[in-house]
Amino acid sequence: MELLNHSRFTQQELPACKPILTPALVMATFIVIGITFIPIGLSHLSASENVVELVDQYDEVCIPADSPDPDVVYSKRIGYIQDETTDKTCIRTLIVPKKMKQPIFVYYQLDQFYQNHRRYVKSRNDEQYRDPSASAKTTNCEPEAQLSEGQPIVPCGLIAWSLFNDTYTLSRNDVALPINKKGIAWESDRTHKFGDNVYSKNFQNRSLIGGGKLIDNIPLNQQEDLLVWMRTAALPNFRKLYGRIETDLEVNEIIKVVIQNNYNTYSFNGKKKLVISTTTWIGGKNDFLGMVYIIVGGVCLLIALVFITVYLIKPRPLGDPSYLSWNKNPASVQ
Amino acid sequence: MKRYVYINDDNLAKDIYCDNRISNRKYTILNFLPKNIWEQFSRFMNQYFLLIACLQLWSLITPVNPASTWGPLILIFAVSSSKEAWDDYNRYLSDKKANEKEIWILRQGIRKLIQAQDICIGNIVWLRENDEVPCDLVLLGTADPQGFCYVETAALDGETDLKTRSIPSACMGIDVDLLHKIKGVIECPSPNKDIRRFDANMRLFPPFLDNDIFPLTIKNTLLQSCYLRNTEWACGVAVYTGNQTKLGMCRGIAEPKLTAVDAMIDKLTGAIFVFQIVVVIVLGIAGNVFKDKEGRKLWYVQYPKEGPWYELLVIPLRFELLCSIMIPISIKVSLDLAKSLYAKFIDWDVEMVDPETGIRSNAANQAISEDLGQVEYILTDKTGTLTENKMIFKRCCISGRFYGNESGDALTDAQLLNAVSTGSADVILFLKVMAICNTVIPVRSKSGTISYKALSQDEEALVCAAARLRMVLENKNGNILGKECPWWLGNAKAGNFSSCQKEQMKLFFLLPVLIVSGQQVRTLAEAVEQYAQLGLRTLCLAWRKLEEDEYQEWTSMFKEANSTLVDRERRVAEVCQRLERDFEILGVAAIEDRLQEGVPETIEILRKAGINFWMLTGDKMSTAIQIALSCNFVSPEPKGQLLIIDGKTEDEVCRSLERVLLTTRITESESKQDVAFVVDGWALEIALKHYRKPFTELAILSRTAICCRVTPSQKAQLVELLKLGDYRTLAIGDGGNDVRMIQQADIGVGISGREGLQAARAADYSIGKFRFLKRLILVHGRYSYNRTAFLSQYSFYKSLLICFIQIFFSFISGISGTSLFNTVSLMAYNVFYTSVPVLFSVLDKDLSERTVMQHPQILFDCQSGRLLNPSTFAGWFGRSLFHAIVVFVITIHSYAFEKSEMEEVAMVAVSGCIWLQAFVVALETNSFTIFQHLAIWGNLVGFYAINWIVSSIPTSGMYTIMFRLCEQPSYWITMILIVATGMCPVLALKYLRYTYRPSRINILQQAECFHSSGIIEPKSRSSLEKDLPSDSVYEPLLSESPSATRRSVGPAQRSDSFQSQSPPDSTHTRKDN
Repeated sequence: MELLNHSRFTQQELPACKPILTPALVMATFIVIGITFIPIGLSHLSASENVVELVDQYDEVCIPADSPDPDVVYSKRIGYIQDETTDKTCIRTLIVPKKMKQPIFVYYQLDQFYQNHRRYVKSRNDEQYRDPSASAKTTNCEPEAQLSEGQPIVPCGLIAWSLFNDTYTLSRNDVALPINKKGIAWESDRTHKFGDNVYSKNFQNRSLIGGGKLIDNIPLNQQEDLLVWMRTAALPNFRKLYGRIETDLEVNEIIKVVIQNNYNTYSFNGKKKLVISTTTWIGGKNDFLGMVYIIVGGVCLLIALVFITVYLIKPRPLGDPSYLSWNKNPASVQ
Repeated sequence: MKRYVYINDDNLAKDIYCDNRISNRKYTILNFLPKNIWEQFSRFMNQYFLLIACLQLWSLITPVNPASTWGPLILIFAVSSSKEAWDDYNRYLSDKKANEKEIWILRQGIRKLIQAQDICIGNIVWLRENDEVPCDLVLLGTADPQGFCYVETAALDGETDLKTRSIPSACMGIDVDLLHKIKGVIECPSPNKDIRRFDANMRLFPPFLDNDIFPLTIKNTLLQSCYLRNTEWACGVAVYTGNQTKLGMCRGIAEPKLTAVDAMIDKLTGAIFVFQIVVVIVLGIAGNVFKDKEGRKLWYVQYPKEGPWYELLVIPLRFELLCSIMIPISIKVSLDLAKSLYAKFIDWDVEMVDPETGIRSNAANQAISEDLGQVEYILTDKTGTLTENKMIFKRCCISGRFYGNESGDALTDAQLLNAVSTGSADVILFLKVMAICNTVIPVRSKSGTISYKALSQDEEALVCAAARLRMVLENKNGNILGKECPWWLGNAKAGNFSSCQKEQMKLFFLLPVLIVSGQQVRTLAEAVEQYAQLGLRTLCLAWRKLEEDEYQEWTSMFKEANSTLVDRERRVAEVCQRLERDFEILGVAAIEDRLQEGVPETIEILRKAGINFWMLTGDKMSTAIQIALSCNFVSPEPKGQLLIIDGKTEDEVCRSLERVLLTTRITESESKQDVAFVVDGWALEIALKHYRKPFTELAILSRTAICCRVTPSQKAQLVELLKLGDYRTLAIGDGGNDVRMIQQADIGVGISGREGLQAARAADYSIGKFRFLKRLILVHGRYSYNRTAFLSQYSFYKSLLICFIQIFFSFISGISGTSLFNTVSLMAYNVFYTSVPVLFSVLDKDLSERTVMQHPQILFDCQSGRLLNPSTFAGWFGRSLFHAIVVFVITIHSYAFEKSEMEEVAMVAVSGCIWLQAFVVALETNSFTIFQHLAIWGNLVGFYAINWIVSSIPTSGMYTIMFRLCEQPSYWITMILIVATGMCPVLALKYLRYTYRPSRINILQQAECFHSSGIIEPKSRSSLEKDLPSDSVYEPLLSESPSATRRSVGPAQRSDSFQSQSPPDSTHTRKDN
C-alpha cells in the first residue's frame, strides 16, 4: 500500500516527454523525408530501368478470327479453343531489345483472370495435397471434389482443375533455347505444402475438362507448374513463372517461340502474354515505387517550402495565452 | 400482509418462513452458465457478434475461418464470465462465513449454540457485547436494568454513532430466568426494506402480564448486521430471517448508469452499423450483377446454371461477414479495462486523501469516470458538504438580550457568564433547555470525564455549550449537575418523537406558560434575522406549561397513536401537534457551521470551468444566501444579482416567477451580470406543479440557483428537471437526505462526513472533502474523457481501416466477397496488434494537472464534447478511408504481377496497417511515458515476432511468408512509403491547425512547453475572505431585484417568523442541514 501511495504510476506522474509540433521540427521532418525519398526513388527507378523485359501478347494473334461481328468472333474463338482435335500451335518471333543477362525468367501473364474469386480461391484442400493418406478429404473442393461415382479427385478443387496449360518452346537462330523448369516453385511448397508421395488420381476425368493435365506417376511436389499455379494471385492481372533461361541473350537476337495455345481465356475476354524478363534487387520491372517515392519526396519538400514561407511571412508565437478565448473576451465565456 | 411471530415456539414457524440462511449469490453452480450467458446476450453488441459468429459457421459464405470471430467472442465472454464467477464466489464465501457463525439461542428452554443459518422465526437469540446481530430481532431483555442497549448501525446506514434501543414496555422487569420461558405473539408487517420503521404489536401470553397489546417500533429492534455495544448482553426474538431481513430487503442492484460518452459511442456504433448495411446492400447488388454479367463466363469458377433459392443472398451475406469487423469487437473490452483503470487512479490519488481522517476517495462506480469531465450542473447540499458540519455555539439572545455580539462568542461574553453566576432565571431556564431537550447520549469514561454522542450536530453543540456554562448533562435520566430534574419524563417522550417531529421544532420544553409580550417576540424575530444574515444557524428555544390532566390525556393519546400499525407516523405527528402550541419563546441560540477549507476556491474554479452551481438546502433562505455569498456562489452586488421567487399562493408564485424570468432573460441577453435565483421549498412545490415550463426555462437560463427549505424528494425532482433538459448533472451531498438526489443524478458524489456514510454509500464517488471535487472533475474527469474519446474513436479507425481494405479488395476479386486477409491476421489484428498500444493511451496526459487547475476553462472542451462527436468521428472516418486507400494502392502496385501472391499481398497490407497505426498512435499521443514507447514500438516487434512464429509452422497457410517478405528490400521500401504517404498529410494538417488554428488545448500545451509557469499564471484573484468578518453589516442583496421585499418583522408576522418559515404543509420533512 505504501508502495502504491507513492508510486509514480498510481499518481499518474510517470516521467513523460511531451513533444510539441514546433515549426522547426515539422519542417525538418518534411525536408528530411524529401531529401531521403528522392534518391531512393531515383535508384529504384534506375534499377527498374535496368530490367530488360520482353512482353508478347499472343491471345489475339494465335487464334483465327475473321469476322467484323464481335459476337461471331467470340463464339468462333470459343469453338476453336474448346476443340481438342485442332492443332493450336502458334509461332511468334521476338527481338531482344537489350542484352539480357542470365538468369532470365520466362513468365506467362494472364489478365482479367480472377484467381482471387471467392468460389475459386477457397476451392482447395491443402491436407489432401500434403498427406497421401488424406486423399479422400475433399472438403471445400466442390465442385471438383469427386467423380460422380464418388472417388475422390487428387488434387481436388477448382484451382488445380483449371491448371494453366499453354506451353512455350523457345529457339534462337534455329537452335533450341532450353527453358529450365526445375525449381520454379517455392521450396517450401515442394518440401512441405505438397507431399512427395502424393500422386494425382482421377484428375480431369470428369466430363468437364478444365485446364492442364497431370502425370499420374510423378508425385505432386515435382510437378512444379501445378505448384506455381496453386499459389493463387491476389490480383486479376498476374504473372506466373514458367521457367528460366540460363544463357545470356544478346541485343537484337531473334527468338522464335512456339506456343501451344491451349488455355481458354477467350470465354471471359482475358489476355495472355508471354513475358521474358531479367531481375535486379527490386525484382522485376516496377516503375511505380520509384515514381511514388520521387513524388512523395517532392511534395514533402514543397510542403516544407510552403511552411517556411508562411512562417516567414506570418510568424506566430506558439503558446501565447492571449490567444485563449477566455483571455480575449471574458464575456463570451460560455 | 401481516406476519405473526410466536415467541419461543419451535414447531410453528419452521415451515412457513425461510431459515436464516443468507444468500447474496446471483448464481448457483448449476445455473451459472445459462444465466450468465443469457445476461451477456441481453446486450445488443453481443447479440450482433453472436449473429455474425453463427453466420460464419456456414462455410459457403464465410470469408475466413469462423475462429476469427468465435475466438475473440469466446475470449470476451470468458473474461466477463470469470469476473462474475469470481465475484459470486467471494459473495458465497462471505455468506458462508456469516451463515456458519455460532450463535446462542434458546431451544426447549435451554441455551444452545447453533449456526446462524439455523435460526428460525420465533427463536430467542442471545447476544453478548460486540456480537453482530444475525437476523432482525425484537428486543426482549438486556443487561441494563432500565432495558436499554446500544447498537452500532454502521453496516446498515453508515452512521457511526451509537444508537439506543430499548426493550418493549411489556418486557420491562422480566427476570433473566423467566425470559427462557417467555411466550407471546408479535404481529408485524411482511418483510420490507424500510430500516427506519417497524410498526408492530406484541402480546405476551400469561403468566407474563396480561393480554394487553404493546406497540413496537424500530426502537425495540436489533437489525441484522448491527453490533451490540456497551451492553453486556441482550436477547431478542427473531422476526425476520435470512434474506427477508431489513438489510436483506434493502439489497438491490442499482441500475447501471450510462455515460454521455457511452451514449455517443452507441450512437456512432449505430451510424457505423447503418453504413455497414448500406455497403453490404450496394456490394451485394453489385456482386450479383457482376456474377450474372461476367461471373458466368468465368468457366474456372463453375457457377452452376441453377442455384439454390438463397443464391441471391449468398453474396450480400458474405459481405456482411466481411464488413462485420467494422464494429470493433474489442472496443467493449478496451473501454472496460480503461474505465476500471480510471477508477483505480481515483482510488489511488494521494491528493484526494482526507488529511484529517485518512479516508481515501473511492470510485464505487467504475463505469462513469468520463461523465465527470462533462458535468454541466453541480447540485450541492450545504451543511456538511460546503460547511464542515462542526457546529459551534456562538451567540444567543435570551429574553431580548443579545449575548456574544461583541466578542463573537457567547461563551466568553462576560455578561452571559455574569448572568449564569448570578443565577438569572431566564438564562438558567434557557441553559436547561439547551442541556436536556435532545437525544444526546452522555458517555462517562473511566476517568470521569463526560463525552457526548449525538446524532444531531446542533444538539451536540448546544449540550457542549451548556456544559461549559456549568449546566452539564450527566446521564439520560436528565440529571443536571446532580440536581434531580422532575420534568424528564415528559421530555423523554418528547425527545423520542418521530424524527420528523424532532427536526421541525428543534427544542421545546414543558413547563408552566408565561405571558408573552409582543415586544419580546419582536426582538427575538430580529435576532433570528440578524443571526441568519451572518450565516449562523438559528434555533429557537421555547417552553410550555403542561397541566397534569392535560399531560395524562395526551400521554394516552400518544400511546394509542404509537401502537397503530397503519399510518403510525402521521397519527403520531397529529397527536404531537396538539401539544405544540402556545409556546413561550425563551430565546434564540445561534450556531456557527464553518465553511470547509477550500470551498470558495473550489467553487470559483469550477464556475470558471463553466459548471453551473445549484445549492439545495433545508436551511433558511437568509442563511443559505449568506453561505452562498461567502463561498463564491454568487458575486456580490453590483455584479451579482439575486432574484427571489416566493409567494404562498399559486398566483403569487406565478407572478414572482414571471418577473424573475423576465429579468433573467434581459440580463442574460445583454449584460455580464451574474444572475442567480432563490426559491424556497413552498414556492418550488407550486412552481414544479403548476408552472413547470417557465421554471424549466429559468433553470436553464440562470447559472446559479439557491433552493432553500427543500425536501429530499424536491432535491431529486430538481435533478430530474435538469436531466430532462439533457444536462449532465452531478449531485454532491453528505447526509441521508441527499441520497435520493445522489441516486437520481448522472453522477452522485458523497462526502464521507460527519453525518455518516449513508450518502457516500449510495454515491458513485465518495470523497473526504468538498475541495477534492475540483480535482475529481478537472483532473480525473477530464483525463478520462479525453482518453476515452481517443480510445473509442481509434478503435473505430483501425477497424474501418482494415474493413475498407477488404472492400477495395472485393472490387478486384470480382465482387465475390473474398477476404484478403487470413484468419490469423484478422483475429490478431483486432484483438492484439491494434488493441494493446492504444490501451496505454490511458496514461496519456494532454496537459499537466497544474495547467488545468490554472485554466479551468479548458473543461469547456470536454463539456461540449469537442473531442468525441460526429464531426471528430468523421475526421477519423476520413483518415481511415485515406489510409486504406494508401495501403491498398501502394500494396497492389508494388506487389503486382509476379509478386502478386495472395498471402504475400495480404501480409504486406497488414504490415502497412500496423506500421501506420503505430505512427497514428504516436502522433496522437501527447505525453510519452516509458509504457507508451514500449507499447507502440514493442507492438511492432511483437507483430513481427508473432508472424515469424506463425510463418514457421509448416501446416499454416502463412508458412515461410513473413521470412520471404523480410528478405525483400522492396517490402521495407513499401513499408516506408506507406508510412510516409499516410502520415505526411496528417502531420501537415495537424501542424497547420496546431499553429494557425490552435485549439485551446494546443495553446496551453505550447505554453506549457515554452514558458515557465510564471507567464501562464492567471491574474491572481484578489483573495476572497473565507469567512465574513463577524461584525460586518449585512447589505441586503435583494434590494435591487424585482421582488425585493425584505421581510418586515412585526407582530402581524409573528407566527411567520417562528413557526412557519417553512411551508404550512406539515407532512414535509425538513432538515436543517
